[in-house]
Amino acid sequence: MTKSSPTLILKYCVFLISVSIAGCSEKSAEEPRPPLKAESHSPAPLAEATPEPVVVSEKTRETYQWYCAQCHGIQGKGDGINAKFLTVPPRNHTKASYLETRTDEQFFEAIKLGGLSVGRAPCMPAWGNTLSDSTIHELVRYIRELCQCEAL
Amino acid sequence: MKIFIYLLIGVWLLCSPMLSHASLIQEKNCSECHRLSKDGNEKSGPDLFYAGNKFQASWLKQYLQNPVIIRSAGGTGDPDFLKGIEANIQKHPVLSKKDAGQITQELMAITLLDLPEEVDRLELLTKGQKAKIKYQFERTFSCISCHQSLNLTGKVRGGISGPSLVNAGNRLQARWVASWLNSPNMFSDKSRMPIYKMEDETRLQLTQFIMSLKNENKR
Repeated sequence: MTKSSPTLILKYCVFLISVSIAGCSEKSAEEPRPPLKAESHSPAPLAEATPEPVVVSEKTRETYQWYCAQCHGIQGKGDGINAKFLTVPPRNHTKASYLETRTDEQFFEAIKLGGLSVGRAPCMPAWGNTLSDSTIHELVRYIRELCQCEAL
Repeated sequence: MKIFIYLLIGVWLLCSPMLSHASLIQEKNCSECHRLSKDGNEKSGPDLFYAGNKFQASWLKQYLQNPVIIRSAGGTGDPDFLKGIEANIQKHPVLSKKDAGQITQELMAITLLDLPEEVDRLELLTKGQKAKIKYQFERTFSCISCHQSLNLTGKVRGGISGPSLVNAGNRLQARWVASWLNSPNMFSDKSRMPIYKMEDETRLQLTQFIMSLKNENKR
């Protein structure tokens, strides 16, 4: 080992720490991240996945417009009014190539517990205290409609 | 008879300022853009039926004379809210010093309820607590995705769908911030903000953090 190794290791540690504490609006946050545990504010535990087919109601489409479109955009293209202010861009819900690699359970968890719960960006808040499980299931189905894709 | 006349004059003198205040809000037609009671649909401007709980009088008086944009995407009741059309965002009318003073007095008298005093005697946050709560503001609760605030170097960062918090410490009352975080439904039937169920200690520290955001700390 060379003389400069401890310095290099120290620099590497500092880099790792600085990346890990950066927020949504700082330029050092990158995707993808390894999965992390949900933080301590997590709402109630996840419900069992519903076995019956889920139908997307008009009310749920309005819910998407009311809450989700702020970041994900009116048509779900990831271009909501907050999008350009976030370092990690909001997910484009019409992009099948990525969304088909995710399961419905992962979507459900991301909406209910927030982005960090599935190892994604902390910009996505937890909606589990705002939306019911059944509405979240419908939102998952609506995202599947937007991407016209299913989990592979 | 004389006593009765004096009494009448006394009552008139006492009541006339109140009557003129009420008429100024009506005269300026504030209800066209603001709800003055919880009834009816949300309007393009923020609700004012709890203005006396929410705002600091000194800020209100200044704002009414020199309005600034707080919601740069417009009000959530604005039809173009999600389209981000800046040209459609209405700036608040400018009032004279006298009118601003009178309307401020009037608005500060409009309260919904007595808010808990829990934040009144809190100790200042330590450096460590500040760093932790800032982290939670940004990452745990994702506030920064929708609200502009100041980062550690005093630069403005954050989304625009929610009101800017850059000057929250001068604009808002701490009791109101703590109450809103605890129970937004008390003030709004349906805001676009997630509902959080956080520990009281965290909620009060978050309130203190928000109240520390001031224009004078902007760089």
